[in-house]
Amino acid sequence: MTVDALITDTASRLLAEVCTHSTIQQAEAQGEAPEIWQAFAETGFPWISLPEEAGGSGGTLLDALEVLRLVGYYAAPIPAAETGVLAGWLLASAGLELPGGIATVAPGSTSDTIQISDSGHVSGTAHMVPWGRSAERLVLLGEGVVVSVPATAAIISQASSLAGEPRDTMTFHGVQADVASAPDGVDAEALRFRGALSRVALMAGAIDKMSRLTVSYTNEREQFGRPVSRFQAVQQHLVWASQDAALTRMAAESAGRQANRGDARFEIASAKLVANQAATRATKACHQAHGAMGMTQEYELHHSSRRLWTWRSEYGGVREWSSWVGQAAAAQGADGLYPLITAGSAAV
Amino acid sequence: MRFTPTELTTDELALQTEVRAFLADELPPGSHEPGLGMSARHDKPFSKKMAERGWVGMALPKEWGGSDKKAVDRFIVVEEMLRWGAPVGYHWVADRQTGNIINKFGTDEQRERFLPPICRGELGFSIGMSEPDSGSDLASVSTRAERDDGGWIVNGTKIWTSNAHTNDWFICLLRTTPLEDGSNKREGLSQVLIDLHNTDGLELSPIPFLNGEHHFNEVSFTDVFVPDENVVGQAGMGWNQNTTEMAYERGGPDRWLSPFSTVEQLLREIQRGEMAGTALHDRVTELFGELTARWWAMRNLSLSVSRLIDAGEAPSIESSLVKEMGTRFEIEVIEKLVELVDQELTLESESLFQRLLAQCVLTGPGNTIRGGTIEILRSVAAKGLQGLPA
Repeated sequence: MTVDALITDTASRLLAEVCTHSTIQQAEAQGEAPEIWQAFAETGFPWISLPEEAGGSGGTLLDALEVLRLVGYYAAPIPAAETGVLAGWLLASAGLELPGGIATVAPGSTSDTIQISDSGHVSGTAHMVPWGRSAERLVLLGEGVVVSVPATAAIISQASSLAGEPRDTMTFHGVQADVASAPDGVDAEALRFRGALSRVALMAGAIDKMSRLTVSYTNEREQFGRPVSRFQAVQQHLVWASQDAALTRMAAESAGRQANRGDARFEIASAKLVANQAATRATKACHQAHGAMGMTQEYELHHSSRRLWTWRSEYGGVREWSSWVGQAAAAQGADGLYPLITAGSAAV
Repeated sequence: MRFTPTELTTDELALQTEVRAFLADELPPGSHEPGLGMSARHDKPFSKKMAERGWVGMALPKEWGGSDKKAVDRFIVVEEMLRWGAPVGYHWVADRQTGNIINKFGTDEQRERFLPPICRGELGFSIGMSEPDSGSDLASVSTRAERDDGGWIVNGTKIWTSNAHTNDWFICLLRTTPLEDGSNKREGLSQVLIDLHNTDGLELSPIPFLNGEHHFNEVSFTDVFVPDENVVGQAGMGWNQNTTEMAYERGGPDRWLSPFSTVEQLLREIQRGEMAGTALHDRVTELFGELTARWWAMRNLSLSVSRLIDAGEAPSIESSLVKEMGTRFEIEVIEKLVELVDQELTLESESLFQRLLAQCVLTGPGNTIRGGTIEILRSVAAKGLQGLPA
């Protein structure tokens, strides 16, 4: 199963055109990017993997993950993952209506206090909601139900990720929501894994972009009369960053292929863990190779590095996923350890 | 540079099952002292048993005793052997690279003479590259061969030659055209095959390894006669052939599996309750998680390199990246295990895990050096990333 090259080409062309250094800077200053979202939404990309009867394009999860990889590559300041494979997936699974605009999801912070009454009224607070301020609907998971609440009815306290993208606090006081029962396999755990998979795809794109940017910058930047890329100490950073780009993309694509086939919890957990650690190493290497140039917002490196610092912590950091994978490994026992590495979720 | 994810086919999975059944039968856990990946013991009967299954020289043509299999098939056999700690030492080099080189550059006479015994697991090879004054700067080798009737007279010294005392032959890089001022030192080198034990003027002496074992040797030549029929490929083209040979050396499971048997044994001993004070508490669980996830991702990268080779490509940057990353990961694993167990190590420990970890510590520095140091690999990979010639 592969992704049609047309999807990659079309999404790359569009995102390269609308996500420039200045439009991304502007999005951060404004706290949203309606023009970029508009251009992206017109192509139908946010809903690419959702079924046609729900209003999507009927593509596969792999198509959506490829688009997310490119969203990460071009640092597009838009809620592509939220509207499509997260909130959109929850809504379509439960047979609830997809909004025409942005849908977002409450990632489920431990300090959230959301309550859903029997009559379907939502009260309480959800934290770190991506693009809460721009969303039409916020989608939540209750006990066995998917809940779609009008986001415009929330009292919003604005906050931002390390990348300057909206991560808002949304408080509701008895707001009427649409509620539908969640089918089997649509629950908080599934959302956690799907959220992690979305982040891995974004991170694969961002590390790739950052490592290429570093190769080209160090080829151009001259010190001591030659490009700094001629120095072995600098080459080490280039090699390490490109390894982490390759490792993360391999992890993302392997997990995506398995998720498209069925249970992929081992692959997603492993991929997010690998990506989180790769992001830490690669941002360090790329910043070091850029010197002071990378320490400013005038140069584009920060679009990638700050997003990676954000995404590595969302939907599970190193501790959470290493604990999950470690328990899976312990459950297989010594004789089953290598079969787990080769067969993944199929061995569990 | 592009690594494309790939999965094993039904036939490939059947091969994996067959190899696992063979190992479970031949070497049940607890019945043998596992090796650390490719630094495995030499065990000629074991090599013969593998060869009987067609698992030695398997990618070589049937005509010369091979099985006409693919790089991915060899990957499957090799990864299972290495993670099991199986004693693959005797046929290791011949299987990984020398057979390929003879098949690719040799004459039919050489193929007929060397490939069938390699594929029967009866001919072990060493590699004669490094010299006292030539390590990373390999093109500077100065062991010289001078023209003589029907062959060459060789003088010089090779060092750090692994297992020259237990293997039968070695493939040796030497200078057949003297280096003159201004000449390209990558030209005028040749690869020749030399019998390690039946050659007048060849002398072997041990160089003790870090762990005290006899692994390395010095091989010296005093007027050693090498007949023309033992020159592989074209005289003077040794550098290019050698570069091809290095590509076989890099990027495979041997570059990231060395400490696997140690980690597996740690889990076994913890679960049997044999590790005093090390129940599967959070820190241990998290470490197992980290290592398992990294091995999963690393294996997928490495497997994709084998697929590229089967597609007829020469993924030299990709394999350099994998080797550099894989061997550094091996060292990271060892360091993390040492921090985790926090005990004094000895090679004489009653615990197999602790014996293996002691070996890991003592031999670990070699992982990021053998087959090209990580510094050399970075230089190769960086040139590739920048689109420059290697």
